[in-house]
Amino acid sequence: MNLLEVRNLVKNFNGIKAVDNVSFKVPEGSIFGLIGRNGAGKTTTIRMMMNIYLPDSGEVVLGGVKVGQEFKNKVGYLPEERGLYKKMKVIETLMYFAELKGATGKEVNKKAEWYLNRFDLFDRRLSKMEDLSKGNQQKIQFITTILHDPEFVILDEPFSGLDPVNTNLLKDIILELKEQGKIIIFSTHLMDFAEKMCDHIVMIDHGKVVLEGPLSGIKQKYAQKNISLNYEGDINFLKGNPIVEKIEDFGNSTGIRLKDSNQSQQLLKLLVDNNIIVKKFDANDISLQEIFIELVGQEETNGSSVKKEVLYA
Amino acid sequence: MLNKRILAVIKRELREKLFSKSFIVMTLLVPGLIFLAIGVQTLLITNQQKNLKIDVISDDPGLITALRSSFMSSEIGKDGKYLLTFQTENKNDVSKYVESKRNDINDDKLGGVVYIPESALKDKKVDYYAKSSQNISLFKDFDAPINKALIDSYFADRTLSKDDMNFLRSSVDFTGFKVTKEGGIKEEGYGNMIIAYLLTFLLYFSMIMIGQMTMQSVIEEKGSKIVEVILSSVSPTELMSGKILGASITGVIQMAIWLSPIILVMSTTIFVLPKEFLFSISSTVIIYALINFFIGLLTFIGLYAMMGAIFDNAQDAASGAMPVMMLILIPFFIAMSMIDNPNRPVAVIASYFPFASILVMPMRLTLVGVQIWQLAVATLINILTFVAIFPVAGKIYRVGILRTGKKPKWSEVIKWLKYKY
Repeated sequence: MNLLEVRNLVKNFNGIKAVDNVSFKVPEGSIFGLIGRNGAGKTTTIRMMMNIYLPDSGEVVLGGVKVGQEFKNKVGYLPEERGLYKKMKVIETLMYFAELKGATGKEVNKKAEWYLNRFDLFDRRLSKMEDLSKGNQQKIQFITTILHDPEFVILDEPFSGLDPVNTNLLKDIILELKEQGKIIIFSTHLMDFAEKMCDHIVMIDHGKVVLEGPLSGIKQKYAQKNISLNYEGDINFLKGNPIVEKIEDFGNSTGIRLKDSNQSQQLLKLLVDNNIIVKKFDANDISLQEIFIELVGQEETNGSSVKKEVLYA
Repeated sequence: MLNKRILAVIKRELREKLFSKSFIVMTLLVPGLIFLAIGVQTLLITNQQKNLKIDVISDDPGLITALRSSFMSSEIGKDGKYLLTFQTENKNDVSKYVESKRNDINDDKLGGVVYIPESALKDKKVDYYAKSSQNISLFKDFDAPINKALIDSYFADRTLSKDDMNFLRSSVDFTGFKVTKEGGIKEEGYGNMIIAYLLTFLLYFSMIMIGQMTMQSVIEEKGSKIVEVILSSVSPTELMSGKILGASITGVIQMAIWLSPIILVMSTTIFVLPKEFLFSISSTVIIYALINFFIGLLTFIGLYAMMGAIFDNAQDAASGAMPVMMLILIPFFIAMSMIDNPNRPVAVIASYFPFASILVMPMRLTLVGVQIWQLAVATLINILTFVAIFPVAGKIYRVGILRTGKKPKWSEVIKWLKYKY
């Protein structure tokens, strides 16, 4: 069993809770998204998973065993802020980082050259890192992350600072790795990437998990709860109705959030009964971005009320 | 304790440091200069001019006889350095004689003419004619035999005993003796003092140089965010141990290269030193110096690495590293102060004091000699210092290495020790 599980992680910095009782499971064979705003606690969580920070309490467990050096060797990690030795040659850099993971020898060298070929960098293998363009340095960074053939690939904000070409390249690599059966965990605040790539997400805000589950399930549930409406007439009567949680006017359309996802038919009936001309009634269209804003963005409008409810679809 | 990951870090550190241009230049420059100095001495002794023709003339035949016997019985008359001719010339013909030799002197066929007039028996004034009129080495060589001849002639008609004569002829001669605790008194030149200072200076210099290099490398790793990638593979303690060991091995290699001239002089006969520069140090001293240096490097580089982790730019780190620098600088000055009295109490205390011992004890060992148990105690103290310092430095390193942002206060750094990381 290769089930990776994060159990009740807590980390304080100077009395501020950076990570507050975070738990989730990373299913096998999935691309797992750790999403949240900047400063939500994603990097701290990942650092604790990598044993770079020791948690104040809680643990990270792989197949029932607390992770340690063994796990580190199985992981390829690409941190958000990343650098390489400027004066080191490309091939030396690749071999060094593989050696730190315990991978040495001719095989690794061959593989490094294979990757360099694939990324059109073979002729630069004896160049110093500082002589490479930023885009090429990023490519070398990907290679160092996966050269030792890790079982887990953890990418912290992998798309930040990448040019469009490298963004696509990294996307391809991630999908390829998934096909090879690797478990990929990446953190991002870019919802459209998460939406396109992840099978499974956990959303963190203010150090707490606010949402966890398979992306399809989450979307389904939120889509039916959130109705996008175009109409003629006066819908003021809906205010205070027990099935409606919130009405928002977006100008072109109106968003109505229901208290429960199976109340959409009830709402439609209510509208028709009240002689509203319904031009569009869409209960199946919501982006992760909207879910994200709904869950973590509301406190900015509602002051400091932190959403405590954890949803599991 | 040593695992593959630490070894990988050590290997990288060695590669990076040993092949850096500044390291190679510094490492070769120092022994280069020492070899040059020793080489010049060797050259002066072995390749000194042979058979330099010098005409010794006088207007007093009696004086010529005395000079001949005086020169022949002295060392310079025997070692073949000079080829001497003795001649009596009329007082008035001296300038003519020199004139006749003008071509020979300019063609280097004749080294020079020494004219000892009869009047020298009163005022000891002697003339020297040559291409370059100031020849200190010749003056030094000729001083004693001429003086002897003059004394012999001057006192020839007076009744003085042979002992009186010998006393008159001799000049004051200092000989230094080293008194050791093991018993026995050895005759010794300035050699040991020079070696002691050289050793102390090199220790000081190398420790600061390699310490600073390590600090820079930690700052680079921290500043360019390499460290997080590395820490996903190795633990902070492994990384720090690897860096310190790598840098310390580099330092010992450097020191061994620096000391190679001394080792060569000790163990071979390729180089010859003048008697007054001869030194007597045993291979034990060299081995002790290297071991002691290694422990010292581990300790100080640990502190420098810690400083590199606290700050994230070279400027802040340079001022932050001042306390570490003081730990090297103050013992260095104490060691240097031993020149006028190697046994001053502060030096004796410092030779056992944590940190200071690393610089002061080798100085004491070469200058005055210490017993084996004293060396053992000092080494033990140094090892204990390292053992005590390492966890503290390691903790601060672990916390500091991932911190960015504003420069931390010392009070905050002390708080880091309580952090759980």
